[in-house]
Amino acid sequence: MSGFTASSSRIRVVETIGSVDETVFDTDDDMPHIVGTTYLASVAVDFDNLTQTASYVGALCVPTHSLERVNVYVPSVWYSFIVWTPSSYDWYTDTYTSGFMSFDRTYTSGFVSHSWEWVYDPCGYTIPYFEYSVDAEEYSSVTNIADLPTDEDGTALDVDFVIVQATGIRTTGGKDARFDQSLPTTVPTKTFSFQGSLLLESSGEASGGSWFRRIMSVYPSGSKLKLKVQESVKSLSRGAYDSAFPHIGETRSTYSFNLKVFFGKFRQ
Amino acid sequence: MAIVLKITPTRFRASGSKLDSQRRYIRKVSSGEDLRFVNGQNMDVSGGGLRYVQPTGTAVDDSVYDGSFIGTTGTRIKV
Repeated sequence: MSGFTASSSRIRVVETIGSVDETVFDTDDDMPHIVGTTYLASVAVDFDNLTQTASYVGALCVPTHSLERVNVYVPSVWYSFIVWTPSSYDWYTDTYTSGFMSFDRTYTSGFVSHSWEWVYDPCGYTIPYFEYSVDAEEYSSVTNIADLPTDEDGTALDVDFVIVQATGIRTTGGKDARFDQSLPTTVPTKTFSFQGSLLLESSGEASGGSWFRRIMSVYPSGSKLKLKVQESVKSLSRGAYDSAFPHIGETRSTYSFNLKVFFGKFRQ
Repeated sequence: MAIVLKITPTRFRASGSKLDSQRRYIRKVSSGEDLRFVNGQNMDVSGGGLRYVQPTGTAVDDSVYDGSFIGTTGTRIKV
């Protein structure tokens, strides 16, 4: 039955709904209340650019010359030669005698002797090639952004919970290292509340698995209110040789938050 | 005029209805909670993945997270 009881150490209000007595208010319960409020303007969160590393994979063969066949007609016989361009005769010089019975050749680089013949070397020279990977990274920073409320003696209160009411904007929209598009952010455009942590940005591989996360947390510790900013990056390979991540230098994101922080306790 | 104290068989009001039996005042309980208050950090990142610790203390990972963050169980609240 609904009722009200009061004694020197307790006030209790009960409401009966149907046949069930439900406590509305009881000073013997630990009841949450706000012991302090702090306004924090322009709290900055800054994630730096990602980095990438070029790993040597191997060397590519590059031929010095291309191959072509040239036919020369000497009455009354056709002679066939394999010669190499870009200059048809840049690798040898022929001094012809009657009927091509003798000749003298001066060879240029790019050819090797094989089985008593001079053959074309497809590796006239080589160039190195690389595969690019976003560097794996675990970043974390913790800063004190406010003092906790204190009692009349100036001692920090042991708060039981913190509720954060926030507005925030992304002041620099970092791009996905692979694409010319900003990383999606989960920060609402209007006022929002949270306790604990907040996911700011994430990105996935083509397979759907996560490779990139950025979060922030606001929580009390000791006599301070802490802001913890974390970034986790799994190494991501480009999947193509000699192709760097085109937007690696544009992955920095920055945020600015205005925080209204409510410090709460359950019992004085 | 504000109600200082008014008690009827079905309703109790006091202090200008700041205390009213038809409201639901939340309070900390040891069981039978309706919701929980989170008391600290409840997400962590590692290896490119994310762990979210529910207010009940249960960790929910994506398939990538490789850390060991535990988090804390939220405080039980009754409405």
